[in-house]
Amino acid sequence: MNTRIDVSDLVIRYGDATAVNGVSFTVGQGEHLTLLGPSGCGKTTTLRAIAGLEQPASGRISVDGKAMFDGARKINVPAEERGVSMVFQSYAVWPHMTVFDNVAYGLRVRKQSKDEIKKNVERALDLVQMRHLADRGASKLSGGQQQRVALARAIAFSPTVVLFDEPLSNLDAKLRAEMRVELRELQRRLGITSVYVTHDQEEALAISDRVIVMNVGVIEQIGTPEQIYNSPKSRFVADFVGSANLIKGGLTAPGTFLTEGGVTLKVTAPHTPHGKETEVALRTAYINLEPQAGDNQVPGTVRQRLFHGDFVQYIVECALGRLIVRRPPTQLLSEGAAVTVSFSPEHCVLLEG
Amino acid sequence: MTMFKPKLNLQAIVSVAVMLIVAFLVILPMVFLVEESLNVGDPMAFPPQEYGIANYIAMFDEDLHVLVNTVVIALMATVMAILIGFTLAWILTRTNVPYRDKLERLMELPYYMTPLVGALAWSIIAGPKSGFINQLWKAGGNSGDLVDIYSHFGIAWIMALFEGTVAFVMIAASMKSMDPALEESARVMGASKLRTMLTVTLPLVMPGVLGATLFVFAEMLGSFAAALVIGIPARIYVITTAIWDSTLSYPPDYGRASAMGLALFVVMFGTLTFYRWRINKGSFTTISGKAFRPRPMDMGRLAWLFFGVCILYVLVAVVLPLAALIFTSLQRFATVILSQAEFTLANYQTALSLGPVRVALVNSLSLGFGVATIGVVLMAFLVWIIYRSRIVGRGVIEYLAMFPQAVPRLVFGLALLWAWINMPIPIYGTLWLLGLAYLTVMLPLGVRTLAGVVLQIDKSLEECARVCGAGWLYQMRTVTLPLLKPGILAAWLLIFMACVRELGVSVFLMGPNAKVIAPSIVAAFASSGTELTAAMALIQTATVIVALAILFRLSRGVTKELS
Repeated sequence: MNTRIDVSDLVIRYGDATAVNGVSFTVGQGEHLTLLGPSGCGKTTTLRAIAGLEQPASGRISVDGKAMFDGARKINVPAEERGVSMVFQSYAVWPHMTVFDNVAYGLRVRKQSKDEIKKNVERALDLVQMRHLADRGASKLSGGQQQRVALARAIAFSPTVVLFDEPLSNLDAKLRAEMRVELRELQRRLGITSVYVTHDQEEALAISDRVIVMNVGVIEQIGTPEQIYNSPKSRFVADFVGSANLIKGGLTAPGTFLTEGGVTLKVTAPHTPHGKETEVALRTAYINLEPQAGDNQVPGTVRQRLFHGDFVQYIVECALGRLIVRRPPTQLLSEGAAVTVSFSPEHCVLLEG
Repeated sequence: MTMFKPKLNLQAIVSVAVMLIVAFLVILPMVFLVEESLNVGDPMAFPPQEYGIANYIAMFDEDLHVLVNTVVIALMATVMAILIGFTLAWILTRTNVPYRDKLERLMELPYYMTPLVGALAWSIIAGPKSGFINQLWKAGGNSGDLVDIYSHFGIAWIMALFEGTVAFVMIAASMKSMDPALEESARVMGASKLRTMLTVTLPLVMPGVLGATLFVFAEMLGSFAAALVIGIPARIYVITTAIWDSTLSYPPDYGRASAMGLALFVVMFGTLTFYRWRINKGSFTTISGKAFRPRPMDMGRLAWLFFGVCILYVLVAVVLPLAALIFTSLQRFATVILSQAEFTLANYQTALSLGPVRVALVNSLSLGFGVATIGVVLMAFLVWIIYRSRIVGRGVIEYLAMFPQAVPRLVFGLALLWAWINMPIPIYGTLWLLGLAYLTVMLPLGVRTLAGVVLQIDKSLEECARVCGAGWLYQMRTVTLPLLKPGILAAWLLIFMACVRELGVSVFLMGPNAKVIAPSIVAAFASSGTELTAAMALIQTATVIVALAILFRLSRGVTKELS
């Protein structure tokens, strides 16, 4: 995979506060990378720095091998000369223009001929199924339509890199799910390299090739959605992405973990253990409530049942503490039922610290 | 590939240049004023030959009654204005008064009437002997005068009528921004309407009322028009008219005038600073940035009484004065005896054909056009620098631009006069200086209006243009300026109106060959008949009303577009 975007040792400060503190990553050709984290973790700031809207204090950003920012060499290419495109959280669809004019903006800036502009705008509007509204004033669009116009505008001038700043966060849940599918489809079809920012872990897992989890200005973990979900490195990742039970204790031998409650568990470590680990993470969805051969098994009692529809959440009391368990709603257990908590060693992940 | 921050260097130059220009316009005159106030030698010499504080001491020795008058009148006027403002604000935000939206719009009218026109009108309505009210009083078989506008109370009354709108707007804003849930939860806890009002509503609104009181008081201290029209014939001097008077004496005592002006400035500046401090402290802030539409209380039949109260205010502050002026302007003789009215249009003919008056009107209109046009461009630029750029020192620029607001208009006029008499650029006594002065004193109005628009525009609309590849100029032309257009038009009209009615700065800077309308009206009132003055005042008012009508239409268009 060719590297399209290369960010290294990026530091961004607002006055005394450090918003981004030494972030490095690369994005490959056609890759969809997501920066995921809670608000204030520095993900949007990082994205804006790639766009040229935020000036870093130090570090390097290059796109297609060209230095866009280099603190040491004092290079800072202004946003309009970077050739990257961006979809804003507020859509930033210009209310005083028509849909067509909005989408044509980047093409007009690039002094394309009238015919080319028409052709490219129509192509972009077709991609988001908005061609029939080309002459509509942008202030008369619904949220979802604005979102599509913003998307069409961002891809109309055929940029090789598109940045997305929480583009779906202002849509309602149903529309968001739809747009997610469309966005992923569009991204594959056009082979665009994209960096996507969101605080929605579900969204991040669903549409990304790789996810970067950020917290307080630093990267917690980089990996594919499956890696992030199945093998969280830290307590923060385990807690922020998906839902997990955290069990305290310590390693007694490689692959053997003694909990504070005195239970011995077989665990896996995605990293080479250093012996000072104190916690394992156990995804709520990976726990069975009847015994499975070869698994860690602990007897327990159902204390609470919450019926969510798509799943049922139980709180089970056992020697590991109070565990949250999510099961399909096919077989309902009643509160007070005696169960055997059972989970495979590979789902019992030793956290690095 | 471009070098590190190449644009920032350009921006730094622009920033420093803007700062210097604004400081030159705003601060330099005040420096001259301070210097002159310390002049105890030949009052016409500059720089002063002797320095001392005699001018300040004289103020307390000889003009103590002026200070007392100023405070007494300002206090009376403030109390009345706040009562008017509070009553109207409460009626229009908390009760189900009929036609609320239309009434709210009407409440703005007195502001555009101007105290000068109001004072002229009320001298006709409530003057001793020949005033309409007193004529009616005598016609009813009574003797003596019922009312006399030429009194402390009379001056305060006129000031309060026209400042009442300001108080209304400020208090209504604080009432509107209160979350109705705060009151509703008191009701749910079992409190009665009255108890809720006393224990929740009032304490929450009080800071807003206090803020308005401070602000209005500061304005009253520096107010000039009513004190000029009513106070001087009545020989009731307040500090602004005393300043004006000492520049008219022979030889003009600029030192004394400057000292009084500075003293007034310090008090007003202090009051406004205290006001701002209170607002910012905000331990009580009911303002959450969100505008609530409080659920109005059902007043039953009383609603119509409240409706009447609102209409009464508009009648007293706008309709009655305008009617009196129109009636008088159509009379053949100066002293109007109601029973022997003789109608004529001759006064308008005179006003429009009389050389100086016509010239003054044309001058005012041209200044309005010129200053508004150049002003909005410069102010839009300033606003962009202050609120959108990341230029170092934009805070300073904002402070400088808003500074003229804290200086009483008349004092600023005096400062500009003294500064430009002594400047080696020979524009004193020309329209150029008036234009420059208008531009300076309109800075706060223009910047505030335009800032309101700029802050509404989402920053990413501009950033998106940059990411799409547009340079700064292209972005300004295609995105920023078109979005600002409605706001720019509104600011243009506001500045235009303010120029056409400008008095405080104009009285000092008007030259024999550069007359403008408002001071000419005052001069006409002093020297020629009431009927001619009324005609002039109405011509000025008509100009403002036309601009206002456009503004109202425009702002309705804007609200429609936004909704």
